[in-house]
Amino acid sequence: MAKKQQSENEDILSLANSLRWELGVDFHDTVIESIYADASRIARKTVRTEGEKPAYNWDFKIDRIVTSRWLGFPIMFLLLAVVFWITVSGANYPSGLLAELLIDTLHPVLKNGATAIGMPWWLSGVLVDGAYLSMAWVIAVMLPPMAIFFPLFTLLEDFGYLPRVAFNMDSLFRRAGAHGKQALTLSMGFGCNAAGVIAARVIDSPRERLIAIITNNFSLCNGRWPTQILIATIFIGGAVPAHWAGLVSAGAVVGIAVLGIFFSLVVSWGLSKSVLRGETSAFSLELPPYRPPRILQTLYTSLIDRTIFVLWRAIVFAIPAGIVIWLVANIHIGDLSLAEHFIRWADPFALFFGLNGVILLAYIIAIPANEIVIPTVLMLTVLSTGMHEMGEGAGVMFELDSIADTENILRAGGWTLLTGLNLMLFSLLHNPCSTTIYTIYKETHSAKWTLVATLLPIVLGLIVCFFTAQLWLLFFSTAEAVG
Amino acid sequence: MILNIHPGLSILAGILVVAVLAWAFWPKNGLFALIDRLRMNSRRVLLEDALKYLFDCEYKNIDCGLHSIAGNLNISADQATKLLDRLRAMGLISMKDQSFQLTDSGKSYALRVIRVHRIWERYLADETGIDQMEWHGAADRKEHRMSAEAADALAAQIGNPVFDPHGDPIPSAQGELPEHKGRPLSSLEEGAIARIVHIEDEPHTIYEQLVALGLYPGMQVYVLDVTNGKITFAADGEECVLTALFAASITVEELPEQEPLSTKATLLSTLKIGESAEIVGISPHCRGQQRRRLMDLGIVPGTPVTAELRSASGDPTGYRIMGATIGIRKSQADFIFIEKKEKHADEQPA
Repeated sequence: MAKKQQSENEDILSLANSLRWELGVDFHDTVIESIYADASRIARKTVRTEGEKPAYNWDFKIDRIVTSRWLGFPIMFLLLAVVFWITVSGANYPSGLLAELLIDTLHPVLKNGATAIGMPWWLSGVLVDGAYLSMAWVIAVMLPPMAIFFPLFTLLEDFGYLPRVAFNMDSLFRRAGAHGKQALTLSMGFGCNAAGVIAARVIDSPRERLIAIITNNFSLCNGRWPTQILIATIFIGGAVPAHWAGLVSAGAVVGIAVLGIFFSLVVSWGLSKSVLRGETSAFSLELPPYRPPRILQTLYTSLIDRTIFVLWRAIVFAIPAGIVIWLVANIHIGDLSLAEHFIRWADPFALFFGLNGVILLAYIIAIPANEIVIPTVLMLTVLSTGMHEMGEGAGVMFELDSIADTENILRAGGWTLLTGLNLMLFSLLHNPCSTTIYTIYKETHSAKWTLVATLLPIVLGLIVCFFTAQLWLLFFSTAEAVG
Repeated sequence: MILNIHPGLSILAGILVVAVLAWAFWPKNGLFALIDRLRMNSRRVLLEDALKYLFDCEYKNIDCGLHSIAGNLNISADQATKLLDRLRAMGLISMKDQSFQLTDSGKSYALRVIRVHRIWERYLADETGIDQMEWHGAADRKEHRMSAEAADALAAQIGNPVFDPHGDPIPSAQGELPEHKGRPLSSLEEGAIARIVHIEDEPHTIYEQLVALGLYPGMQVYVLDVTNGKITFAADGEECVLTALFAASITVEELPEQEPLSTKATLLSTLKIGESAEIVGISPHCRGQQRRRLMDLGIVPGTPVTAELRSASGDPTGYRIMGATIGIRKSQADFIFIEKKEKHADEQPA
């Protein structure tokens, strides 16, 4: 009986199979299409829309202007420039205030307090000079620009303007194999790469989203602008006549940022043509209606969702890194600290790339945030050149108010115009900070793509620095190079 | 310092290193791709390809001799003889009146390989963004590596398809295959109406040109003229001329009782700003996720669409569809067929 049943089942199945062959290639589509068609026919018969017209006309007029051939791009550049200008100029004052409070005032208080309760020097070093200081630094330099940039950006988004930017920029990104909305994640990356990576969620096509995530690091983030400006002022501004210095160094920084956009597009193109070729791609871009921005709600969500979220991740990574920074400068093997051992060992290799051991070490141990690279570089330079009268002591990061003093320290550390230039390039082209790496992993759930996003910029950076350095040596004096 | 090498030399060395790295990672002909290809057991590949070819001949009732086998597998006649001897020793083929025939076990082996090949092609077409020119080559490599179980699992995942993207039936897991239907396009006479059911993907050069002409399975053809070994026909309203050799690569099914589609479909990309039309359909070339996305947005037959605004850079264009403005790239709008409405009243009352 059971046997008979089974053979009947098999007969039915094979009949079903042969009937499916009869049905032809695309019957699935036909079914879906007819369901849609029926639904829309019913809807058209029974649903009437009223009172939507005036609002829609309004939208239409704005759209005509912001996507027009002549005004579209100027309006876009103007708005983005205003956002960046407000961010940079507005963040200076609160940043200074926070630095004064957390670093100049609270740090000595904590240090004295630790001594007063009889804490051993190494423990207070690890906790106060290492963990606390790096956390304080990250908060002071990261919080204000983010707290200004993200709400402004979110307001533009809420108003409905950003999708129009994507709409206008799409043809450029299409040629790079990417999605127009990558223009948005790229601009967001100028604020913070981790936030830019999260913002890539708006791209609903899997391949284009991965491209946007992997290339976001080429947007020069908030944490790297101060480095660029400082180094450009010292080395590039210093290399030209004084009355040109300001203009030339500003031009150099903008040049680096533009180079970043260029790399972003080229790498997007390369990825879409090679490793990501097989991923599915499905483009669509909805242009939602404009609406008055909800200011309070925007402020709240952008502060909580973006600023605090990113800041929290940065702090979590900054604390252990602060401890490591303090330890490598204070644990000695023989006469030298771990840091000095590494610097001496890495120096010849690094000089080959036009950098030096201090820079390499700084980029390794300051991985939690680009903001603490320069303080770490200064601390390590002082440590390795033995200028103990400068700085705050081994393992204690510091920054100087005077650019001339900073320049003296760096020049004493053997820095040349080439080192400065290559540091600027390497600052653009190196691994993302640990916050961003972690965010990439969270967003892609893939160790492979996280690894690609981490290693690709370093490899590019080393290649670019290498050729810059060697071409420099070829065309300019070899004497300076070796010195 | 220690590394005091002349910069010119190190630049050369650097270029060399970058070149070697680039070569190693190059997608198609790079080192890793090469190693990957070498890892395949070439003897087994040859054997399976021979079985596949023999099966194809039997399925289509074509005679296939030693030379056509050698030609198809791109080996010498000597090698082909050895290969066939081996197949016979393994009990996969038998000889009958100077022609080769698959034994039952040979047939089921061939069907297994074909099943993997066609499932993989279907998978590439529907679930990935790989170009259609590459489906066949990729499946040719995959068919020798994928186990029957893995193929079944993949088939289940993509909804147990019964046709590959070229219109070939996929053998069932039990090894069933429908009767070979249809006839070559070259055999049609003037005035015949038929539907393309299959486009042969080998040889590659011919397939490439047929695809470039925009032909696809499911398309309606209407034969206009047959002279001097050339066949002229209208494919979805567009006129095509093919030589007999090319036309033989296309299999069609006659549709005796149908009216020819006289009008050529208009593409959404031709709609000017401010113009309205009605969606007629989406081209079968647009597959998988992209197709589902367009349908999700409401691009289905009968939907009214209005071209509303053009991006400052000229592409994409914003279309008003079902009360929303949606940006669609020109390359996508080329896949969407429309019918332009007559210029009359704005909206019909319900």
